[in-house]
Amino acid sequence: MFDKLTKWVLERAPVNTEELKHLSAEPVPNHLKRWWWCLGGTPAYLFIVQVVTGILLAFYYVPSFDHAYDSVRYITEEVPFGWWLRSVHKWSSIFMIMSVVLHTLRVFFTGAYRAPREFTWMTGTLLLGVTLMLGFTGYSLVFEQLSYWGATVAGNMAQAVPVVGELMARMLIGGEKIANNTLTRFYVLHAGVLPVAMVVLIFLHIVLIRVHGVSQFEFRDEKGTGKTFPFYPDHFYTELIMGVSLTILLTCFAIIFPAELGERANPLVTPAHIKPEWYFFFTFRWLKITGLTFAIISTGFFFFLMFIWPFIDALIRKFKPKSEISVWIGAFAFIGILILTIWEAVAEH
Amino acid sequence: MASEMDLNFKRWIIAILSLLFLVALLVVAWVEGGKERVIQKPKPIMSGDSSKCFDCHMQKSPVIAEQWRDSKHAQMGVGCYECHKAGKDEVDAFLHEGKHIKTIVTPKTCATCHSDIAEEFDSSHHSKAAQFTGSLDNVLGHFVEGPLAEANGCWQCHGSNVALLKDDKGDIIRDENGKPKFDPLTWPNTGIGRVNLDGSKGSCTACHSRHVFSKAMARQPETCGKCHMGPDHPQIEIYNESKHGIAYRTQLDKMNLDSDSWIVGKDYSAAPTCATCHMSATPNQPTTHDVGARISWTLRPPVSTKLDNWEEKRNGMKDTCMQCHSPDFVNGFYKQFDDTIELYNTKFGQPATDIMDMLKERKLITRDPFNEEIEWTYFFLWHHEGRRARMGVSMQGPDYTQWHGFFEVAHRFYFELIPQAKELAHNDKEAMKFIEDILARPEHQWMNGISKEEQDKIYKFYMKRYGQKAN
Repeated sequence: MFDKLTKWVLERAPVNTEELKHLSAEPVPNHLKRWWWCLGGTPAYLFIVQVVTGILLAFYYVPSFDHAYDSVRYITEEVPFGWWLRSVHKWSSIFMIMSVVLHTLRVFFTGAYRAPREFTWMTGTLLLGVTLMLGFTGYSLVFEQLSYWGATVAGNMAQAVPVVGELMARMLIGGEKIANNTLTRFYVLHAGVLPVAMVVLIFLHIVLIRVHGVSQFEFRDEKGTGKTFPFYPDHFYTELIMGVSLTILLTCFAIIFPAELGERANPLVTPAHIKPEWYFFFTFRWLKITGLTFAIISTGFFFFLMFIWPFIDALIRKFKPKSEISVWIGAFAFIGILILTIWEAVAEH
Repeated sequence: MASEMDLNFKRWIIAILSLLFLVALLVVAWVEGGKERVIQKPKPIMSGDSSKCFDCHMQKSPVIAEQWRDSKHAQMGVGCYECHKAGKDEVDAFLHEGKHIKTIVTPKTCATCHSDIAEEFDSSHHSKAAQFTGSLDNVLGHFVEGPLAEANGCWQCHGSNVALLKDDKGDIIRDENGKPKFDPLTWPNTGIGRVNLDGSKGSCTACHSRHVFSKAMARQPETCGKCHMGPDHPQIEIYNESKHGIAYRTQLDKMNLDSDSWIVGKDYSAAPTCATCHMSATPNQPTTHDVGARISWTLRPPVSTKLDNWEEKRNGMKDTCMQCHSPDFVNGFYKQFDDTIELYNTKFGQPATDIMDMLKERKLITRDPFNEEIEWTYFFLWHHEGRRARMGVSMQGPDYTQWHGFFEVAHRFYFELIPQAKELAHNDKEAMKFIEDILARPEHQWMNGISKEEQDKIYKFYMKRYGQKAN
């Protein structure tokens, strides 16, 4: 019966199953058996969680000045399982940002961005940027006091970009101040433009990984063996374990620390302390200690350097082969970001 | 952490984790179940006696039962029996399903839990609202218009003297179930100064509406507007005209009316309602149920006077004003207010009253109220138009101060009261002199024509504004 059905389907959808098996069983380096090397698949899995929960939340969310907050309150308090969906959406976004950052660090400190994988790194840094933007726009859509004023600060920051700042801010905010136009823009970005950009970039990222193969690392105990193992089922199962574990973790977080709802956005009352989400703490602190324009230019320059780092690294190594100065620069930058983040977290102002 | 797990072991881990995920989902479902219970109407807390009432009245009068279930009382275990129970010696008590109960819940009952509030209310002008038997309003309602107009008009706001029907022997008439029959003129009644059978005065339901007992409803100006409206005390119309009322209607959704704590500037800042200024808490003073606690003038009688302890009362009101306005603004307002009341008093209220007293003194009119036209004229002047002018300025309603107020007071005074008084006094030289002396005062000299300079000024203004058409 099952054979008949398979035959019937294959006649109509003539997929070469042998080729499919071959494709999915691509040999991957032995180091991928180490759990640390699951961090590339983790954000992809979390992105799927985001898409599924995001679609369900979009059934109820109303991106308008008058109804946004109430619709989030409705989701949180009245929609069956709405609190859980919103909490899983929130926590998966936080986990996703954490895993993308960790994955970026792993790739950077293992030098996996080096030739011929420069484009893989560049699509990766773009994915990091898109992830952060998704976090920011999503948080702003809640339209509570802090997210409203966070978005106001972001608008002011965009305005501070030299030459094009005014235009950028108007494009982002859709007027003089945050209003209906802003919410519809953030909604379109959060639920349309950025997820599509994310899918395209993930596709490019994976294609590039397949083209160049996963970069080979040999640990001391397996030096020179050149051992590989098939992606499916071995590594697939590892990723699946990671995925299911994360799903349980997300649900636990949703139950123990459900997404809360702060005060309704009030354009007339500026909160005593405005703070963005934790992943922007470092930029906010940098802004406070250096001033708006310098902070914007320097942060933009930092991300640009990060984007083109494979070429800078290649230039350094051209003059000083086998130099590991990139590691030191990366460590310095990361510790700097960490200090700024902790500073902002503990400081009252 | 290197891992060399074999595939079978990995499969087992996946299976176990999937099961754990299902368990996590069960926990989610359990939390969701609990959440649904919160969204649903909370289960009321009821004593055994109240539970019996509730079950039966859910069938017989479901609306009041539902209203009570939605109330704060239901969450606090204050049920039907707790409020309606009666001692068997109470005059309106009757046996119902084995328990002695009474129909009317009075402030005395509410004081069981809300004693401070009941005390404040008892000392307020509101609790004395039914004590107007000797007033002109009562003469109008009872004699001129008729007892039913009085019962259904005056008493529904002021409150009735609740009474039970009695037979010729003076015994209370009861129905076949032993329930005492109320005098239909006096009950139903939710007037704020109702005199109850237990001797207490007032009716909490006038503002808090049984069986919802809503704070929000009492804080809404519409509640006060049930009585504080109309030609003789149009407070709600004045409020609606004022900036305060406009702000309230525009920002109703920001008023936080349901909040337990309702301190202006802390729990809300969108607009003031009647309650905000007269009763509710500020950061510096608590809520009061003495509605006159912050009122410095009485604007009710023919001639306004300042009340006892008016400075202290005014400071209370100023504190409320200053939650939104600067001291200069508030003091400026009170200067305008005081001077305008003095204007009314000296130019119209006091002279009109003096003329009426003089006419009675000299027996040019009888002492019986409302049987002579000039008494109606005088009544309109102070009771309707005069109050409108004074209340208009007290609540910053410009149109009520002027067109509905002073303009009509002036017309009534100069073209009705004075001619009618002169007509009555035309054979009494002293009476005529009394009237003429009043009209000889500087504030009435405009009647003899305004000065040439003033005429020129007005002419020039119209020429400049309208050109030749001014002629």
